[in-house]
This record gives sequence, structure tokens and C-alpha cells, in this order.
Amino acid sequence: MENSDTIAALATPSGESAVAMIRVTGSASGEIASSAFRLTRSPAPRRAVHALYRSASGEELDDVVYVFLQGPRSYTGEDTLEIACHGNPLIATRILQDLLARGCRQADPGEFTRRAFLNGRLDLTQAEAVMELIQARSDRAIRVASNQLRGDFGKQLDALKARLLATVATVEAYIDFPEEDLPPERKTAEMESIQDALTFCSRLIDSGKYAAFLREGVRTLILGEPNAGKSSLLNCMLGFERAIVSDEPGTTRDFIRERVIVGDYCLQIMDTAGLREARTAVESEGIRKTVELVDEADLFLLVLDASRPSPTLPDTVLARLSSDNCIVVQNKIDLGPANPLARELEAFASVQMSALDGQGLEALQAGIVEKIDAHFSHEGDDLILVNTRHSVALGELAACLRAALTNMEKDEPAEFVASELRGAVDAIGRILGRIDTEDMLDVLFSSFCIGK
Amino acid sequence: MSEFGEEYDVIVCGAGHAGCEAALAAARMGARTLVLSGNIDTIAAMSCNPAIGGVAKGHIVREIDALGGEMAVSADVSGIQFRLLNASKGPAVQSPRAQCDKKVYSLRMKHVLELQENLSIFQATVTGLIFKQGRVIGCRTNLDLEFFGKSLVVTTGTFLRALMHIGKNKNEGGRMGDYSAKTLSGSFLEAGIELERLKTGTPPRLLGRSIDFSQLEEQKGDERPTLFGFYDTRDDSDMFHVEQRGERLAGWKPGSDQVSCWITYTSAETQRVVTDNLHLSAMYSGEIVGTGPRYCPSIEDKFVRFADKPRHMLFLEPEGRNTDEYYVNGLSTSLPFAAQQQMMRTIPGLESVQLLRPAYAVEYDFAPPTQLYPHLESKKVENLFFAGQINGTSGYEEAASQGLMAGVNAVLKARGEKPMTLKRYDGYIGVLIDDLVTKGTKEPYRMFTSRAEYRLLFNHGSAEMRLMEYAKRHGLVSRERARRMDRKKAEIQRWVQWLETNRVGDSTWATRIRRILEPSDYPDELKALPEAVRDEVVYRVRYDGYLKRELRQVEKLNDVEKILVPSDFDYSKVKGLRGESAAKLSETRPTNLGQASRISGVNPSDIGILMVALKR
Repeated sequence: MENSDTIAALATPSGESAVAMIRVTGSASGEIASSAFRLTRSPAPRRAVHALYRSASGEELDDVVYVFLQGPRSYTGEDTLEIACHGNPLIATRILQDLLARGCRQADPGEFTRRAFLNGRLDLTQAEAVMELIQARSDRAIRVASNQLRGDFGKQLDALKARLLATVATVEAYIDFPEEDLPPERKTAEMESIQDALTFCSRLIDSGKYAAFLREGVRTLILGEPNAGKSSLLNCMLGFERAIVSDEPGTTRDFIRERVIVGDYCLQIMDTAGLREARTAVESEGIRKTVELVDEADLFLLVLDASRPSPTLPDTVLARLSSDNCIVVQNKIDLGPANPLARELEAFASVQMSALDGQGLEALQAGIVEKIDAHFSHEGDDLILVNTRHSVALGELAACLRAALTNMEKDEPAEFVASELRGAVDAIGRILGRIDTEDMLDVLFSSFCIGK
Repeated sequence: MSEFGEEYDVIVCGAGHAGCEAALAAARMGARTLVLSGNIDTIAAMSCNPAIGGVAKGHIVREIDALGGEMAVSADVSGIQFRLLNASKGPAVQSPRAQCDKKVYSLRMKHVLELQENLSIFQATVTGLIFKQGRVIGCRTNLDLEFFGKSLVVTTGTFLRALMHIGKNKNEGGRMGDYSAKTLSGSFLEAGIELERLKTGTPPRLLGRSIDFSQLEEQKGDERPTLFGFYDTRDDSDMFHVEQRGERLAGWKPGSDQVSCWITYTSAETQRVVTDNLHLSAMYSGEIVGTGPRYCPSIEDKFVRFADKPRHMLFLEPEGRNTDEYYVNGLSTSLPFAAQQQMMRTIPGLESVQLLRPAYAVEYDFAPPTQLYPHLESKKVENLFFAGQINGTSGYEEAASQGLMAGVNAVLKARGEKPMTLKRYDGYIGVLIDDLVTKGTKEPYRMFTSRAEYRLLFNHGSAEMRLMEYAKRHGLVSRERARRMDRKKAEIQRWVQWLETNRVGDSTWATRIRRILEPSDYPDELKALPEAVRDEVVYRVRYDGYLKRELRQVEKLNDVEKILVPSDFDYSKVKGLRGESAAKLSETRPTNLGQASRISGVNPSDIGILMVALKR
């Protein structure tokens, strides 16, 4: 692309490592390579070359391997230079500084991907998938994001778009060409195809929640009486001390959020203040927050002191718990055998463990994975709705399709059905890029012999 | 100085459907106007089908009428069969269509032109334009006479370097029996205006007494004709302003004495003849380079592309009252004459038919319309306006509406006033011109209702209400008609209000109408209203929700249309704008961001980037 400035950034995390990679993209990339590596002509594209990196002032900075990629055959679609230097933060920084001195600009976050999108190297869903991939927090999320990067989501939507355009073209054909010898209109077939599109769309919308699990982690709330060992459980799951643990009940007043990987999944664990009558103002504030958090959570770990009788929980909390979303953790079995569970908890899955010495942790983890698999996972990782923008557009799409069906059921004139269907096409266009009337007319004229 | 001793305000080159409306609009606005035609016997000739209107096209004719044009009344008084299309669908897509007596239509239009004050007509073929410092100042003709004007409207139809094909047979000419404008293209090229080729075609004409009508299916007109003109806002002086001076115009009482059209189908034998002769067709043998329309394929195309469709429907349409000539709608072809004749005789009812004129294809130059401003003036040559098929359109109605708009704008330009452009939400004419100047066209452009995003607002009965402000502002209708339009609008609004507020039982009349109320159950006061007012009131109340939704979308569009792009804006300097988009935008030079967003290949993300750049 013309007129773009050349940007540079460290592509690997800062810190010591074996190799660090610096990426440069933009029209000056070739010149920079020629000058830094003292080449007599422009660098040969797509070839890894071992060379000495010299700064603009002629200083030898490092022994590197570089690859030059000529646009448009590069990630960003522009000329790109990738420099692998030794993973010493000082070396990487000096090379980067030299690049800036040579007129490069420090890349903004996500700018490489943004350029790839603007240069048509990625479609919008793919560009978003790259950002997802960078942010992905679990194996499952990475798998979904990389599917999307390959365009699976886009392909699914393309299929939906094609189906919808065919329906719109049919409805429009009977409006614009009433005198043509068209086959008799089959309203039931039109309604079926709208219903199909709606079903597909609803599945995508449903997958949105799952996508949020993958991106943000399953929101998991640790509940229990004061001093039941909630904070110890968190620390045990984290493998290091995050929460302040003390024998004094009511120590956790603010809630704590941590991300933990369990199996394929990422959990966003929230440790809470214990549920009991507050003794201090600070503590009562903590308890109020806990009750609020209950509404947000997806999964509950109810921690009980196994050596004591089961506690009675506030009704507001109890009402949210079910065998689908709650695991009872009978803690402190290192202190003696567990008491039987209270009747209202009998139906719940339970794990006996000691958060202190880690006994039973594996059973808990297996129990968590099983719960998520059974109640939160989503069939087919290829069909995932990724972000809010998609979810808003798909919501509109579904609403339009529903209204179109209602209009057909009520036998409203065809142009009102068409009006809703156009809304649906526009909604898909907001994800895939604008869909022009010409696209619909192409379908129309290739499906129907028009020509009175 | 012109040969006639004066400089005109507006010169219109061509007197087809675009030229007639351009000339009349200009003269009616009080501009000294000249219309030149290579053959004034073919003024307003219906070169192809003998019909006006149809879905979307009928809407356009009503809009032309709302803007003071002539096509509607001419079609009404020369109509020999009237049908309201889509009568079973909702009001927005119902549209009038009339079979017309070709000669009467043309004769009447010529007479109206002759009687129009401020308008001169002259027979001469325009051979070139006269430029001065990037502007057009006049034209040259085949008679070696030159004419000068402040602005010039070009309506060349299919005549620019026109070549007709019948199989391998080729004749120069834009219409059988007529000439080809061979040198005018040179003037455009000289001025830097690009030209491309398009193709269109017309079916054979048959002798009626050689047709066996007993084998055909009859299609009659509607008992109650739906007319194109708005007569409720016209008084006698509007309607018959020429007759009052003692002149007798051609035509009859609209809807009287209607005639029938006839339906037949191709047979398996027809398909065989076409397939056997395919290699001889001008379209298939590579003789033709121009692009033809998708919606009007030749019979060759129909059999090739839809090979499994057993038969194709054909309409036999009378060309007039005082002729026995029939038009075969649905059968355009560029097969050689012998194959045409053989093919025609395989069609039920046409076994011993006699052809009066063969079908032919015609190729012609058009000037891609993205070279125009939205007011139809050339971006390359000042004071030069384009209308009709030279802009890549097809159809009498599309041409006439552009002619009217170009005529009005030619006058405004000559007067140094701001141009008149219709918005996409004003009506089909707005959609048509915006599509042309923004997206251009690859095939002869025809209007479909599906091209309009605000289609529900465009029911044909509302054309006057939608466009009256333009008509009033530029004096396109008489003062008396403008007053009546105002009264009609107020009456409609008052009645909508009345239905929304007056209750019957526990709900308003409006609510009951929305729940579908039989017209016989309407309140008596509503029933007593004139039909045009009542229909409009009921439509607005019944579909209030949908209409309001479209109006909200209009507001959104208006917001981006308000962001203007300077005409010298440098897209190549906009950071982050894709090269491809920058090139398209630089080529089309949209006047505002709304127009920019409709250019094909320009993505919403480009518009976002552009919006940021423009606000900076």
C-alpha cells in the first residue's frame, strides 16, 4: 500500500529468551534491510539470511537472521522485514531504537493486524480472530480462534448469506416481475428456508456464551462459611499464595479474581468473603458484594468445613445453586472424616479434599471439567460467535428473520416480508462487509429466466 | 450567435423520451430552448415495446408527472390497454402499465413540443460540439449550421456509432430505418469523456392478420384503468392548456375502448431451431462486443442459460389502433432473418405468420455515468448535461426522468443557480440517478423496485406528495396545481391524524385499520373522501410502523450525506485508506460520505477512516 509509514515492534515478549523477533512493515522495509545489512541491491524475498545488523551510525549491533517478505505476499500485505536477534532485552531494544532512528514508527497495539485487514489480507472475522488468538487463555480458546483465523466462521456466514440471498431473490422476483412466467410461488419453501436460517443464526447466538467462557474464563465463585478454607482452596488451585490465609475468620473482605487453567478450560475464579452475619462494617460490605457476584457466576465451588455440620446458606444464594452449576468441596479432611452433607446438598457432586496439602485436588479438577463439559460446552468448535459486534448483528438478523416469518404467516404483502429480509441481509453485511443490491440481482437473474 | 440569430439558454440534442422532457422542462421554466432532432417525424418514438410503465417504471412515470413532465399524460391519452401490476400485493409495489398507440403517443408529444412557448424545434443532426475553455458553448450540425447556448443537454439514445445486427448482416443506425450519429462520439473523446459499448435488442414485428388468435390466450385490460397522471390536482387550464388555444391534440379519453394483448409460448421445435442456428446469432458468433441486459436476454440466451425450461412465454402486443402490426414481447434475437422466420413459425398461433420487421440487436456508445455529477452535468465539460441511454440506461421511463432532471438543471446552470438533485429517499428518480453517477453500470440499467432501499415509502400514489417541494421551488407545475397539491397534502395529514385520535369502541380507528379492517367498515367520513386521498391515508395508517422505520433509516442516511467531501479532496493522502478504495473514490469523486459509501468496492471500514480524515 502506498502512503503507509513503516512501523516496527518487538514481536516476542520482552525479557530474556533464546531469540527475540523484531518485525518491520511498510514501504521502507526493503531499504532498511539493504542499509542495515549492507546489501548492494534489494533483499531477496522469502529467504532466511544470516547477517550482521549495523546501526545507522555503522555500529555492529548483533548477529541476526532476517527474512524479507515482499508485499502483498506478507502478513500485512506490505513489504515486511522480520529480524531474529539474540534474546537479550538490551540487544532487541537497541535494534528497535535504531529502526526508529531510521524513520520507523513504533507500532500501535494490533497495528500489524489492522494493516493486514485494511490491505485485504484478512477479512474482518479473521482479523478479530488474530486478536482473539493473542488474548486466548486456554487450549480450547486457541483452537476456536485459529479455526476462525482459517475463516471457518466467515465460511459459515458466507453460507448463511448465500442461503438468505437466494430467499430474498425469490421474494423479490415475484415483486419485480409479476408478468414473467415464473414457476408458481412456493411460500412454504420460502418459509422453510427462512426458518433454517433462523435456526442456524440462533445456534450462533447461543455459542456466544461459550465464546465468553473461552475468552474470559468460566466465572467460578468460591462460596462458603467464614474460615471454611475458601482462600486456601484458591491458593491450592493456583499453586501459589494469592489470597491472604489466616486462621482468623472473615479475612477476605474484597473478592479476589484469578485465572486458573483446568484441563482444556480457563477458569476465572473469584474468592469471596465468607457468608455469615457480619461482625464489622467492612465485612458486611464484603458479604453484600458476594451476594451480588452470585448473579454473575457460571460455576460455584461451595466450600464446607468437613469436620463441621453443613451450614445453612442464605436463600438468595441457595436459589442460584443447582446440581448443574455447583460442586461441593468438603475441605479439611486432613482434620478427620467428613460429616454427611445437608439434605439440600445431597444431589450435588461433592469432592473431599484438603486445600492445605492438596489432597483431592485432582478429583476436584476432574469434577470441574466434567461439569463444564456437561453443561457449558458447545458442540463443534468451528461454529463460534466471537464478539459483541457479531452478537449484536446476529441479534438483529434473528429479529428480522422472525418478523419476516410472522409477516408470511399473517399473509402480509410480499414487500413487507422483503423489507424484513433486507434487514437480515444488512445485518450479515455488518459482519461480512456490505452486500449490494447487485449481489441479490445476480442471484435473481441466474435463478429465474426473466425477459419479457 | 446562433444561425437563428440568438443564443439559447438551453439546447437539447435529441428528441426521444429524454430529449422531449428536457426540452419541455427547460421551456416551461421560461428558458429560451432549442431542441434538435435528426428526424422530427420520430420525436418521442417508441423504438421498442409499445408500452409505458410497469413495476418501478410506472412509479417513475408518476414521479415525472409530479414534477410537471409530459410522459404521464401522453401515455394516458394514447393508452389502448391499462393494467395495474401487482394488484394482489401491497400498495408500495403496485404499478400502472399501459399499452400505447405508438404513433399517437409520438404525434401528441411532437404537437405538445410545437405548441410550447419558449421552445424551438429544428430538424438537424448534431455532428459535433463546440467547446471553449473546458466548457461547451454550442453544437455543429450536418446542415453546416451552428447553434450556441449557455448549456447543452445530450440525449443520443442508441444512435452514437450505432450498429445493428441481424445474424451476419450489419447496418449502421440506431433504429431500423434511421441513421447513425458517427461523428459526435469524436467530440466526446476529444473532451476527455470516456465511451464504452452497450447492446440492446428488439423483437420482430408481425402482421396481425397472419396470426391465428384462436390459439392464443387473451389478456384484457383492467375495467377500471389506473392512470399515470395526477388529475385531482390539475384544473382544466393545467390539463388542456394547449387545447384551450383551439388546438386539437391526438389521443382519446384515457381508458376508453381498450384492446387486448395475446399470450403464446415457444415450443420444443422453437428450441431446436434456435439451438441449430446458435452459431449464426450475432451475439453468439462474437459479432457483438457490447454488453446486453441480464433482465432482457435474447431467446438464444434463454434457451442456453435455462435449457431445462421447456417453454418461454411470449406476449403479442398491438402497436396501435390504426395498424395491424404486433410486437412480440419476450423474443428479442440476433439470429439471421431466415432463422427468425423459421423460428417464429414453430410458435403456436404463428404457423403462417408474416414478419413486417425483423428482430435486430443494436450496439451503441454510452458514456459511463460515473463521469457525471448528481445533477447530470459532465465532470469533464462544464455546461454539458447527459440524459437517457447515453448514460447507460434502458427504458423510456428511465430516459424521460433523466431528461426532465437534466433539462431543469441545464436551466439552473444557465441562470447560475444551485442544481436540483433528488435524494434516494425522494423516489425512484433519486435512486436511478444516484445509482448511475455513484456505481455506474455494466449493462443497460433498468429500474427495479428492489433497487430502492426505501421502497415502502414509494407507493405510486404518493409521488406528488414526495416531490411537490421540488416542483414548487423550481416552478415545474402551475401555481394553481401547487396550491391544490398543498391542499391535498394537508387533507391527507388531517385524516391520518383523525384516524389516530378518534375512537370507536375501545380502540382508535387507526388501530382497527392496522388490524385489517374491511373498506366497507371504514368510517363514513373516510369513505366519502376522494379515492386518491383515501388510499393514501389508509396506506399511511395501516403500515405506519414500517413507514416510520424507513423514515428513521432516512434520517440516518441524511446524517452521513451531510458530511460533504470537498471536490478536490486528495484520497491518496488519507492514511490507512486501502489503495483500491482510494482509486475508486478518486475516480467517482463523491460529493458526500453517503454517496461514497455506496460506491462498489468501498467498504464500511474505508468510510470510517474517511470520516475521521474529513473531521480532522
